Amino acid sequence: MGNRLGRYGVWVLVAAVGAVCWGMLALSRGETVNAGWLLFAAIASYAIGYRFYARFIQTRVLETDDSRATPAERLNNGRDFEPMDRRVLFGHHFAAIAGAGPLVGPVLAAQMGFLPGTIWIIVGVILAGAVQDMTTLFFSLRRDGKSLGQMAREEIGPVGGAAALIAVLSIMVILLAVLALVVVLALAESPWGAFSIAMTLPIAILMGIYLRFIRPGRVLEVSAIGVALLILAIIGGGWISESSAYADAWTFSANQITFALIAYGFVASVLPVWVLLAPRDYLSTFMKIGTILLLAVGIALTLPAMQMPRATEFAFNGQGPVFAGSLFPFVFITIACGALSGFHSLIASGTTPKLIQKESQVRIIGYGAMLMESFVAVMAMIAATTLDPGVYFAMNAPATVLGDTVQSASQAVNGFGFSVSPETLQSTANAVGEESIVGRTGGAPTLAVGMSAIFAQVTTFLGAGLQAFWYHFAIMFEALFILTTVDAGTRVGRFMIQDLVGNVWRPFARTSWLPANLIASALIVAAWGYFLYAGVNDPQGGIYTLFPLFGIANQLLAAVALTVGTTILIKMGKLRYAWVTALPLAWDAAVTLTASWQKIFSADPLLGFFAQRSAAIEAARNGDLYGNAENAADVQQIITNSTVDGILSILFATMIIIVILDAARVWFGLIRGTKEPEMSEAPWEESNLDSEGREVAEPVGARS
Amino acid sequence: MTNSLRAIWEYLKEISGENAYDRYLALHTATHPDKPPMNRGEFYRHRQDEKYSNPGSRCP
Repeated sequence: MGNRLGRYGVWVLVAAVGAVCWGMLALSRGETVNAGWLLFAAIASYAIGYRFYARFIQTRVLETDDSRATPAERLNNGRDFEPMDRRVLFGHHFAAIAGAGPLVGPVLAAQMGFLPGTIWIIVGVILAGAVQDMTTLFFSLRRDGKSLGQMAREEIGPVGGAAALIAVLSIMVILLAVLALVVVLALAESPWGAFSIAMTLPIAILMGIYLRFIRPGRVLEVSAIGVALLILAIIGGGWISESSAYADAWTFSANQITFALIAYGFVASVLPVWVLLAPRDYLSTFMKIGTILLLAVGIALTLPAMQMPRATEFAFNGQGPVFAGSLFPFVFITIACGALSGFHSLIASGTTPKLIQKESQVRIIGYGAMLMESFVAVMAMIAATTLDPGVYFAMNAPATVLGDTVQSASQAVNGFGFSVSPETLQSTANAVGEESIVGRTGGAPTLAVGMSAIFAQVTTFLGAGLQAFWYHFAIMFEALFILTTVDAGTRVGRFMIQDLVGNVWRPFARTSWLPANLIASALIVAAWGYFLYAGVNDPQGGIYTLFPLFGIANQLLAAVALTVGTTILIKMGKLRYAWVTALPLAWDAAVTLTASWQKIFSADPLLGFFAQRSAAIEAARNGDLYGNAENAADVQQIITNSTVDGILSILFATMIIIVILDAARVWFGLIRGTKEPEMSEAPWEESNLDSEGREVAEPVGARS
Repeated sequence: MTNSLRAIWEYLKEISGENAYDRYLALHTATHPDKPPMNRGEFYRHRQDEKYSNPGSRCP
């Protein structure tokens, strides 16, 4: 008994700390709540989730077996299959799953107040997101690193498998469009931002040449050079923005940046990887990890107070200016990556399982890395909610709602029930070195303002004018890894198209064949370029229209992964524990399908695409304007956009229903015993590695 | 202090792939002692092309 108390005493303490912090968040009577409570509530919850729930999944549900050789050990070829130290693999896996999603989602969800989003980020990751990553990683590990699509085909059937494939491709298109949209919105009319991001191209090419020919493989050295040049590019951007002649030359409209990005995406997909993609990968990985660490240190040192209310009325009336729809289901759709991300299942069933040394390490790598990602989302939420709410809404409502001046924006914000003076808006813009911050949607600029305020407070001893530098540092960091995702995503999409067409006409699948390369690249770039262009020119606001679609798409992919997971658990004879993936699946399906239903069938034109379409058609017929349209062409644009987006919503919803129904058929067959539990697991083989990856003479034999 | 700095440096080398060539050399001499190994430049170019011939996926 005493022993037990000693063992669990520390966890009782952790639970108590967590409970107090959550209590302060939910019930504190003060004007504002300090971000420290949020930070510690998150850490305590993660610790408990990792110690108890992840351990339960590992030992009871999956029954990981460290005496079983992993694919990395059995198929070791020194390349894609190779046992890798768990700490190193954790770093690689985290770098692969951490992207712009967990930074942007929470910023947008902050329109409902800090609490609803925060609760989902923390509870969602413990019960759903990390579970999805960990189980998918384990199931792929047992199948020699097979992809999610292959597992869906083999474990569910050809119909579910095909639906999963189509879902992945169409999701990729929306993903790339929305991420590119975030970059466009951050760089439009900003000479400083445009210059420093443009400079990343020559820097990357220089690094590429250095790495390939001058000092091959000296990655750390070239990354240090690259980061130093990046800092110079940011400082140089400041000089550009101060000189009026250069500032004019580097000021681009949103459409100019859109076409530059589309051209860039095509060229980057066609060029050899060493020119742009590989060096950029290093650069953005170091910037990403470095900035996330800086942000954690900055928040811990400054402990800012959160200015946003706990919950705003937009959580309940669904009339928010950032995105339409009420708390259920749209807060879950918007947070997306920080709590549950379908995309992780693509990484957890690809590169990572081929490198794991021991089965038990799926807990630290799958579950642990996802907890880190969720922590990044918590920090993004803190950075956004420490802003003055008036400034937040003046930045995140669509530009067409806010008007062109600080005065009109101030009035519009008053209309939302918050207040901000025109002077505050102007002085905030001046502090970050921008002409204006009004209507800078997309999340990235808001996050950058929040982050720069925190960093500037830490660096006050260096002088007062540093906020502008930090703002553009943050913009650079976000733009850099979004562009890396655009490069890489375009290439992945290109390969998918070549693969798909290759089924019909063999030669097209050869990735080294230039005509196929050009055609497939053009197709994928045209697809996301279309949505990007439509988003940039959407009178209703591109983020307002497209971000919910992006969230739905991502959560849909998570549903596919959880469906595959549930199927495999049942086949493993673990029906008793199938709720571990089935409950998150049920929740996720409810969220995604409700959101799709509202997007398709809602009679509210702000929410439903087809209701908006009819209303806009009606307006056009009467020669009226509709929504935020300023002329008849805008109205036509709204009609086209709502039609396309509505059809896409139908496609997404249909795919998810097909996958789940096809899987349910398999589940009932298995449970009733009319179907044999055939699994495509690789056979058991004894491991000769110990837990540190060293070769041992005697087989390990230890079960964990 | 120096020890932990050294550990961080080793970790960085490992995670960035800086020492991938050393590992390759060790594996190569152990498995194919009869064939000459690639030099650092050849190895790196070969590895880079191979890695991105199937870039996999990454998260937004």
